[in-house]
Amino acid sequence: MPDYIHPEVLVSTEWVAEHLSDPQVRIVESDEDRALYTQGHIPGAVEIDWAVDLQCPIVRDYIDRAAFEKLCAERGISNDTTVVFYGDKNNWWACYAFWVFKLYGHKDCRVMDGGRKRWELDGRAWSNERVSSPLAHYTAQEQDGSIRALRDEVLKHTKAGKQLLDVRSPEEYRGERMHMPDYPNEGAIRGGHIPGAQNVPWPMNCNDDGTFKSAKDLEKLYIKELKMKRRSPTIAYCRIGERSSLTWFVLTYLLGFGNVKNYDGSWLEWGNAVRVPIAKGAEPGGVVVAVASAPAMHA
Amino acid sequence: MASVRERLDELVGEFADLDAREKLELLVDFAHGLPALSAEYVARKAVEDRRVHECQTSVFLWTESAGGSARLVAEVAPEAPTVKGFVAILADAINGRPVADVATISDDILDRMGLADVLGILRTRGLRAIVARVKRGFAEPTAG
Repeated sequence: MPDYIHPEVLVSTEWVAEHLSDPQVRIVESDEDRALYTQGHIPGAVEIDWAVDLQCPIVRDYIDRAAFEKLCAERGISNDTTVVFYGDKNNWWACYAFWVFKLYGHKDCRVMDGGRKRWELDGRAWSNERVSSPLAHYTAQEQDGSIRALRDEVLKHTKAGKQLLDVRSPEEYRGERMHMPDYPNEGAIRGGHIPGAQNVPWPMNCNDDGTFKSAKDLEKLYIKELKMKRRSPTIAYCRIGERSSLTWFVLTYLLGFGNVKNYDGSWLEWGNAVRVPIAKGAEPGGVVVAVASAPAMHA
Repeated sequence: MASVRERLDELVGEFADLDAREKLELLVDFAHGLPALSAEYVARKAVEDRRVHECQTSVFLWTESAGGSARLVAEVAPEAPTVKGFVAILADAINGRPVADVATISDDILDRMGLADVLGILRTRGLRAIVARVKRGFAEPTAG
């Protein structure tokens, strides 16, 4: 039976329970619902919130290098700390935070397999005590462009017909659903997917208990059924880049794909961008209803 | 008895001066205070379409009127304490007060609670959607 290619990035709840007082290890919770951490977290775990802590409040981007250094220092994370991420929603946001840490070059990042759900199922204790961290010293690297795709690169990627994964729900992929009623500004103004993208909804990576599927199941899905190649450049996207960071994690670490990027701008950018190609329907090629190479308008 | 608006102002006022962590703790307290569905509503949940489909979280809402008196009954998934706490605040302010009063809930309550800085823009939009849904529900309440 095949094993994950980089099994060292996954730790079990048991491993975490045994390392709660290990000064070399920092446990970090990242959730869809922040109040979950407030209500009860793994003893000693600190919180890093995707929206409040990792996003720049001005530009639509991540916090800059200096802000990342400050964030780590305040959470007691040094350059040599083993950082273990976990959270709700089968570790969506944990993978997102993991990805941002990799963006700034943090060496030892891991994910607790199964996240909050598995910790709960294992009957382990929660704590609602406030956690204070001794101030650490942190020096971040420049952003690692090899794991992040920006729009222009995605445009070249789709035109070249390279491996592209849309991890949203089939309804979002087909273009039937763009945003939720009563959420007027959250969604995109066009529906569909980036031409050439195969639809692999993110839950296909996970078991019911929140853990990742076995290497065998993941290989069957991505390599055998979808005929994806480990060495080909791959870009994954979703709505705002959170679900696709989970798929990025699976492809990069569990399956050993060599060149995977997360397009964090995702559909919230693509579906609002002017004159980018969009495919509708269930097929990757779909019907291209706009092409970037259309003749320029003359004023 | 205070009006819906006055009661909501009191509740919102409790949040205004708290720091981020305290705000989340207070929301969790409210979430714990939302009563579980009674047997009657558990039975009705199975046959009535009360799911708020626009909400990513599993939320079931009943907006009912008994003799002009409003009653908001809700079930929110335990994995969403923020939404649960917020719905509990709305229920506290609404229940037992005139149905017509619900329309006076101002749309800026989330701003006044100072939750935008704590939750970020996307999450507060989700809570705004619940306010809209509750107000719409009481514009044409069902008999309770």
